[in-house]
Amino acid sequence: MKSKFTKEVVDDLADKLLIGLTEEENKMVLDEFDIIDQNIDMINQIPNINEVEPMTHCLDDFEYELREDVIEESISIDELLQNCDVYTDREIEVPTVVD
Amino acid sequence: MAYMEKSIEEIHEALKNKEVTSKELIEESIQKSKEVQKKYNAFVSILEDVEEAEVTDHLLSAIPYGIKDNYSTKGILSTGSSNTLKDYIPFFTATAIENLNKKGAVAVNKTVMDEFGMGGTGTTGHTGIVKNPWDPSRMCAGSSAGSACAVATGVYPYATGSDTGDSIRKPAAYCGIVGYKPTYGMISRYGLFPFASSLDHCGVLTRSVKDAAIVVDAMKGIDKNDMTTWDSKDIHLYDSITGNVQGKKVCYIKELCDIKQYPNASEELKEHLKNFHQQLDLCKTIGIEVEEISIDSKLLNAIASTYVVISCAEATSNMSNLTGIIFGPRGEGDNYIDMMKDYRTKGFSPLIKRRFVIGSYVLQAQNKDRYFHNAQRVRRLLVDTWKELYKTYDAIILPVGSGPAKYLDGSLDMLNEDTAALEEHMQVGNFGGFPSITIPDGFINGLPVALNITGNCYDDENILNIAYALESNMNYKGQIAKEVNHG
Repeated sequence: MKSKFTKEVVDDLADKLLIGLTEEENKMVLDEFDIIDQNIDMINQIPNINEVEPMTHCLDDFEYELREDVIEESISIDELLQNCDVYTDREIEVPTVVD
Repeated sequence: MAYMEKSIEEIHEALKNKEVTSKELIEESIQKSKEVQKKYNAFVSILEDVEEAEVTDHLLSAIPYGIKDNYSTKGILSTGSSNTLKDYIPFFTATAIENLNKKGAVAVNKTVMDEFGMGGTGTTGHTGIVKNPWDPSRMCAGSSAGSACAVATGVYPYATGSDTGDSIRKPAAYCGIVGYKPTYGMISRYGLFPFASSLDHCGVLTRSVKDAAIVVDAMKGIDKNDMTTWDSKDIHLYDSITGNVQGKKVCYIKELCDIKQYPNASEELKEHLKNFHQQLDLCKTIGIEVEEISIDSKLLNAIASTYVVISCAEATSNMSNLTGIIFGPRGEGDNYIDMMKDYRTKGFSPLIKRRFVIGSYVLQAQNKDRYFHNAQRVRRLLVDTWKELYKTYDAIILPVGSGPAKYLDGSLDMLNEDTAALEEHMQVGNFGGFPSITIPDGFINGLPVALNITGNCYDDENILNIAYALESNMNYKGQIAKEVNHG
């Protein structure tokens, strides 16, 4: 049976996450994608699966409390700037996002 | 015997009696770290200028420990073993680590892991593979590979880990030590780099059940910065360990533990299951009732797929903040999209990209219900099945994996259909947030193997007590890895 996965399909799936694949990486995924697809399809072989409510979290008894709106000391600007490659005084250089 | 090879209680006693100082312990631990780094590559960073701490009445005071590199540590490099964060220095410390620090614990290194926890081999960290200290041609498993290796080699008595599928419990098994992840939300995840938030747990790797209890007692607690934490102040893990297991009931799953289920079983698998059944006999000897139960193979065979779908899908979302703009080195490009793509393309390793592609696939509009939502449905079926068992049994006891550590050669992140359910059953512990502990239960060809005990949510004291009783009646407590020469 012809695979529904092609080099282009794999590249497109990666591209949607802003990830580029090398030729080798694409081949690695492509070579095993039919098996992966077969494996993950096992979940569809469980009888009457559609009648079950999806479980999105471990626990179903979380207690949520709204915290008090108290002003707390924030992180200092100097500390935050430690991870910036390029900055002048307190200004960080960022790429243009609006043309 | 070196101090770092002793139990936490013994080291504390030695500190109190002034047989040794915090400074000497730190020196011993750093020296050992360097030796282990050279042989097995367990660390991203060794913190040479760490300061000694005061000895107090707290058992962890002044004792060195290790931190998996996906815990944020203020002012200390925290990479998640990824090139995307190779220079990242957090401006805050994870709550679990802060809790340990408050007790006077002394962190001496950050340990290598599979990139962002997304691997089970210990081979995908950006600083290279971690080798198994019992046999360097084999893997430690992952993702808490460096933590497992370091504890097993006597660098210190414990290291933190994180567990999304079995990332504490599998490496512990392969390295001959104890791996424990408590009930979901007992330890805050604030400051832990997220992989799959609905499955991520913090926990610890130690050389004994008591040590695991001591450390998690210190790490746990409700945290306003993690809304999934809950108040565990009435749970006292260490104090509750008695070793009395009279009247306890455990079960094991026939479809996973019966050798007849594996027509092509390797010699290692045969030995592993035979050894496991011997430990079931031991359970009976010490007063635990043991029963065999049966679960539909279709459901068991869907465990691994359910995990792959949910974890990869959640990971694609969690990792979307890795743009090279707010964290990590800037990528190159004419616009911000190209810059992000350049950073992500160069930064992520091939195996993590593979998982992202799977995540992307199962989240496409045409696939989402068939894969992602159905995986969430199977997750509920599995958790309900386990919870039903907990109405009758204190715990489910199962072998870990299909034998001892696998060879590094040919260890791609792939599923073997025959033994997939046996390899991956501990993932149910993450689906349901169940407390789950792995303890060594024997040797095959000189290499350690293990069993796992998993119980119901909030029943951590019970699970640790059963594990302690078993550990006390076997000979694998507190063991230090020794390279074996077999063949």
